[in-house]
Amino acid sequence: MSELTRAQIRDLMGEVMKAQGKTLPSDDGADLREIGFRSLDFSELALRVEDEIGDELNFDAPGLRQIAKVGDVLDFIEQLQSA
Amino acid sequence: MSEPTLVPPSKVVLVSGGSKGLGLAFVNDLIDAGVKVAAFARTVTPELTALAEKYPDQVHVGSVDVTDEKGAQAFVKEVEAKLGPIDGLVNNAAVGQDSLHVHTSAEQIANIIHTNLTAPLVLTRFVLRRMMAKGLKGRIVNVTSICAQRGYPGLVAYSATKGGMDSATRSMARELGGRVLVNSVAPGFFASDMSAVLGQTQLDQIVRRTPTGHLTEPEEVVPVVRMLLLENTNINGQVLVIDGAASI
Repeated sequence: MSELTRAQIRDLMGEVMKAQGKTLPSDDGADLREIGFRSLDFSELALRVEDEIGDELNFDAPGLRQIAKVGDVLDFIEQLQSA
Repeated sequence: MSEPTLVPPSKVVLVSGGSKGLGLAFVNDLIDAGVKVAAFARTVTPELTALAEKYPDQVHVGSVDVTDEKGAQAFVKEVEAKLGPIDGLVNNAAVGQDSLHVHTSAEQIANIIHTNLTAPLVLTRFVLRRMMAKGLKGRIVNVTSICAQRGYPGLVAYSATKGGMDSATRSMARELGGRVLVNSVAPGFFASDMSAVLGQTQLDQIVRRTPTGHLTEPEEVVPVVRMLLLENTNINGQVLVIDGAASI
């Protein structure tokens, strides 16, 4: 299966948050701590993306620690897909 | 009843992963203590080469990957020919980890287990066979980690290997019946190297919770390993935690 688009990744991110009764803001600059998107939520998102593309997206933790905003999450997943 | 015979101080010590950091600190310290030292690592650093050149009759070094079973065994035989029979082993070579378990590939997990658990067990087996065949007594120190006893994110496979080595330490001490003293040293997190896996926030938290108020330094581990290799202590089958009581 082909890579997901940024919009599709964003939809999946919204689903992860919705499952916790939270809403993903439309602003890519939104702070992850303020919206309650934690590192395990990022893992869940990455695993959902893996399910969609049929491939594993393994990665080390340091890159994860640099993620602070919604846009960073989308950037990171996009980079993982194209790596 | 016969008198128990003591295990003498090690005279020829093999240090795996001895080219930098903690391993290199062990090598330097043992040289200073007058012990003959052999060290190998995947890459021999200029520091290690300089030691071999400065102390040609006391130090032997080589470029060997600990997972290369045949290479490691050939190095052991080289050491025996140059320095004499090995009666001390420091299993220090290891690879770290910095990834959540669900995002660590099966290949990465296998590599961590091979390098940190299988390879030192195989090397230990070989050194013990040589030691026992010559009727020698000896000492083994396994460098493990506080991760073997406490949980930290991003270190699942690594922790499993270190816990495995601690368990092997106890069983080997029993199995070898006092003829070879086998112990582990389990440092807490260092300010450098491996501790990069935790991030500054977690490191700050560990420091706050450490009664001695600082992360472990290599020079705090070195004398403990020296003691286990050279002193008469009757310590056997133990895991000595060196973390300023952060984990208690």
